Amino acid sequence: MPIPKNSKQQLRTRVLSLLLIIILTSLPLSCSKPPQQHHKTQFMALGTLVTVSLWDVDDELAAKAISAVESELNHVSMTWHAWQPSTLTKINDALATGATIPADPATLSLLSRARDLARRSDQLFNPAIGKLIALWGFQSDDRPDAPPPPKAEIERLLANLPDMNNLIIEKQTLRSTNMDLKIDLGGFAKGFAVDQAISSLQEMGIKNAIVNAGGDLRAIGAHGERPWRIGIRDPQSAGIIATIDTGDDESVFTSGNYERFFTYDGVKYHHIIDPRTGYPAVGTLSATVIHSDASTADAAATALLIAGSENWQKIARQMGVSQVMLIDSKMRIHMTPEMNQRVYFRTETKPEIIISDLDTQSGNQK
Amino acid sequence: MKPDTEQSLISIKTTRQDHRIAWLTALAITIHIAESVFPSPLPGVKPGLANVITIAVLMLYGWSTAVWVSLLRVLVGSILIGTFLTPTFTLSLAGAVSSILVLGLATLLPGRGLGPVGYSLLAAQAHMAGQFLTAYWLFIPHEGLFGLLPLLMTMAVVFGLVSGLIVMAMLPRLDGKTS
Amino acid sequence: MTRADIFVIGFTLALLPFLYSTYWNREGPAETAHIMDQSGREFTVPLSTNQQLSIEGPLGVSLVEIKDGQIRFLDSPCRGKQCVHAGWLKQSGEFAACLPNRVSITVSGKDALYDSINF
Repeated sequence: MPIPKNSKQQLRTRVLSLLLIIILTSLPLSCSKPPQQHHKTQFMALGTLVTVSLWDVDDELAAKAISAVESELNHVSMTWHAWQPSTLTKINDALATGATIPADPATLSLLSRARDLARRSDQLFNPAIGKLIALWGFQSDDRPDAPPPPKAEIERLLANLPDMNNLIIEKQTLRSTNMDLKIDLGGFAKGFAVDQAISSLQEMGIKNAIVNAGGDLRAIGAHGERPWRIGIRDPQSAGIIATIDTGDDESVFTSGNYERFFTYDGVKYHHIIDPRTGYPAVGTLSATVIHSDASTADAAATALLIAGSENWQKIARQMGVSQVMLIDSKMRIHMTPEMNQRVYFRTETKPEIIISDLDTQSGNQK
Repeated sequence: MKPDTEQSLISIKTTRQDHRIAWLTALAITIHIAESVFPSPLPGVKPGLANVITIAVLMLYGWSTAVWVSLLRVLVGSILIGTFLTPTFTLSLAGAVSSILVLGLATLLPGRGLGPVGYSLLAAQAHMAGQFLTAYWLFIPHEGLFGLLPLLMTMAVVFGLVSGLIVMAMLPRLDGKTS
Repeated sequence: MTRADIFVIGFTLALLPFLYSTYWNREGPAETAHIMDQSGREFTVPLSTNQQLSIEGPLGVSLVEIKDGQIRFLDSPCRGKQCVHAGWLKQSGEFAACLPNRVSITVSGKDALYDSINF
């Protein structure tokens, strides 16, 4: 018996409604996510411990990614190492003779970027003072607890202190106008290396990753549905002072006086040398910068630690970084309102917080 | 509450069926209020025992009447408990609306369709799923919420079965007195 | 009971094991609490430090207590206080919420505290 047309339609509605019921009742299930993989690998590179975190990447790609990051970092190290034989040490040796030397475009572009950041930092980030760093003994992997350099020698270097403006970049060549110029890209090379590592991951199609080189990191994407969560170390203890959830692509860099130091006669001397005084920067325990690219974040964190809690605002504005946090020696937190939006303090008592708005400020804050 | 006195105040002719629906709604509201003190791992999310009435009405008087009874129950119930327009009310409403929608679709099923137990199970699950997702979307978009889902759905299945059996026992008695 | 009834019963019962296997992951003791407030911002607190936290919500302040690796709602400005009745959370994956005040807590085990450390 043929089925009349309207009952055929009825049947279709009924089948459809059955399907709808099943869909509706199992709706909560549709929110379920497939199990995703979190890879975390550690290795030594750039003279420090590097941790690569990957989210939602299969084993095969993860292995490729790790080795890509490793070779990228090693390449930067081989090119820009400040005291072990590298392309940079060769450049330094040649410049010290007063020669004009040819250089490849990649080298020139990196040096001119460093020079630009140095200018914008009012030369507080000064990659030209390798001699001063070496005098302090920080051009070594492990500075022994030996006496600091004599005052006279520091002053002799300060009298004719080079900066990156002494480096003349012309038509694919380099030349120095100050024979004391010795490039040391500490405070920039790590950021540059992390940037390179992240772009190599992005080229492989990886969207969610963190490359953390000795505490300084750049994070892209997220950890599944939640953002990557970064803990910021307390400069005075091993604990975590605050947490930050990163956006889609952000670098978090901190310069701290606790990272590398030696102690002599009960005095602690750390590795961030203030080019104005020739001595380790005083007054600030750490400077943290969140910025899109790691190279800028690295240079800015160094410069802002040296600038200190009184004068950092001007330097931050000039360097184009808006998310800044300084912790001074009294454990007071100085930050921009933009940074204040981002950090959550995990300490038992809320620390004293001083917020300065970069935009509404014309000069140095008193 | 005598029907006669009401009739003298407002001259609307009410049938025996109207009275029965009114009584069932009142019963649904009572259950709704009783249920409000029921402990739940997720505050405001309820097993939906009041669905007993919704399903009885659905089977006796049809879907559109069930919609009214169910919505009236949520509205009056929450006004009486004092949760009207609070998150609890929103969740009750979400539960009622999703179960009523699923029931509406279920009535379209071919053949003999569903009996009270089937209706009740579907309604309970829809009720829970609707409340859960509303809570997740509107109030606490916390992934941890999903850890409660298995427990809540188990609760829904148990209460759905119980409600269904209650309706099954109730129906012949109600049915005999109608018409 | 009709054939459709049997189908529905079978379907719902089959659903449950699936839900448990997907969402029920209690893996050992909790070490970290993730608290979300009305702004939707989730913050993370270790359960190792005994302390009390005040979390602002639309109704007022919800008081959360952390003690001996456990966390609970101590008080909340809601009516039913069901969040308080939920008691201590101590197993990874456990969850409690004060829905009217938009505060929720879930606890997790090791390694969930931070993805990376900056220093």
